[in-house]
Amino acid sequence: MPTMKINVGPIHPSTHGVLRLVVEVDGDTVKGVEPHIGFLHRGVEKLMETRLYMQSPSYVEKLDYIAPLSWDELYVSAVERATGIETKERAQYARMIMLEFQRIASHLLWLGTFCNDIGQLFTMFMWCFRERAKVLKLLEDLSGSRMFYVNMRLGGMNQELPGDFEERVQGLVDELESRISSYKEVLESDPVFMERTKGVGILKKEEAINCGVSGPVLRAAGVEEDVRRSKPYYFYDKVKFRIPQGRESDSYDRYRVRYEEMFESIRIIRQCLEMMPETGTVLGMRIKLVGPPAKPDPVLVSRELPRGEGMVYMVPDKQKPYRISLRSPAFINLAAITRMCDDCRFADLFSILGSLDVVLAEIDR
Amino acid sequence: MKNQGYDYLKKVTAVDYGDRLEVVYIVYDTARRREEVVGVRLEPESPEIVTVMNIYKAADWYEREMSEMFGIRILGRKADRLLLEKWNGKGTPLRKSFGWGKPYERRGGG
Repeated sequence: MPTMKINVGPIHPSTHGVLRLVVEVDGDTVKGVEPHIGFLHRGVEKLMETRLYMQSPSYVEKLDYIAPLSWDELYVSAVERATGIETKERAQYARMIMLEFQRIASHLLWLGTFCNDIGQLFTMFMWCFRERAKVLKLLEDLSGSRMFYVNMRLGGMNQELPGDFEERVQGLVDELESRISSYKEVLESDPVFMERTKGVGILKKEEAINCGVSGPVLRAAGVEEDVRRSKPYYFYDKVKFRIPQGRESDSYDRYRVRYEEMFESIRIIRQCLEMMPETGTVLGMRIKLVGPPAKPDPVLVSRELPRGEGMVYMVPDKQKPYRISLRSPAFINLAAITRMCDDCRFADLFSILGSLDVVLAEIDR
Repeated sequence: MKNQGYDYLKKVTAVDYGDRLEVVYIVYDTARRREEVVGVRLEPESPEIVTVMNIYKAADWYEREMSEMFGIRILGRKADRLLLEKWNGKGTPLRKSFGWGKPYERRGGG
């Protein structure tokens, strides 16, 4: 029987954004997938060349609207590196705590929508959003905004931490830990969830490395690679945490890696609270006009974002960056989908796509 | 590079310095955890570079993006459709010669 091409998207509930997939099928078997991206391309890299350094964080946040704080922090760190500004110690701990909360919020949203994609309808979705709302509330109280925080300033943060910061964080992590640990039983006793994730979308270790995937997708393939470990920033070399890895590198392993990462994040937050200096300010510089010294070298900063390794390669200039190049982890994770879908069933395509956790605004830039 | 253990390609990008184009490869060694940045200088008039797709599959979309944004011809690959641009793909947006303020021709004539 001749193969047939089916168009999926660009507007489709399971593509999590504006993504078009041209799928070649033979009956119900997928023979090839061709992703078409670029519907959200708005030239952020070019736009940032025309803006002052500290005007760009809000552009960077809109790249990944699920974990904006992580991108914000990545970009501001690159500017700090270029200008040689040190971050205050208390602010470094506060940033770590916020980044880990952002990771938990992002993974929770992913888990909820992923379960929706594969037919575990709405129970998980509601639970995850219930927990995520609490995290967002905390981040809102810390930064003044619920979705796009724009909270990072050079050397620190925009606002002082509230007086009851430690008790609130402590209370929230305790609650998150007990709630999230109850998910596992519900998910793994569900035959629908297990059937549709086990053995689906396998990407072998060598191929994962060669395709350049990063973050949970790479770790699910059994590679122990995490920027927080390999190129530690802030105090990640002082806190203890495990890097969860998968064995079969299928959709289930990618779920498992993200699920366990949430507990590791909770562990990191608890240690940060203990190590954080009691006094001191977290406020950064509230100035727009900053510039690096003359003849600056290109700056390369990497961070472990919730989706994988984010990177800013910046050629600085006096008041504006001369060129900024962003490594979007979801971009390269999506490119690898062509190598995961061979001979899977059509319905499994969305289990695979969902397990990659793509954000199209970040892919198209 | 790959023979020396750098088995992971993190990023391919380019920078337009006016008198030269620089293509930047960021490679990584997953076993020994070391990173290396390699720059290649190109002539800005008719830039060409050989593909690294046969060594790192990760280069696929990066090279396509680069050829779109900088007008760099990638040798050894068949011509692909445009990756990011849904407009007519005229010009090389990330080159410094790409002007601001000049509206491009819209396809539908509207």
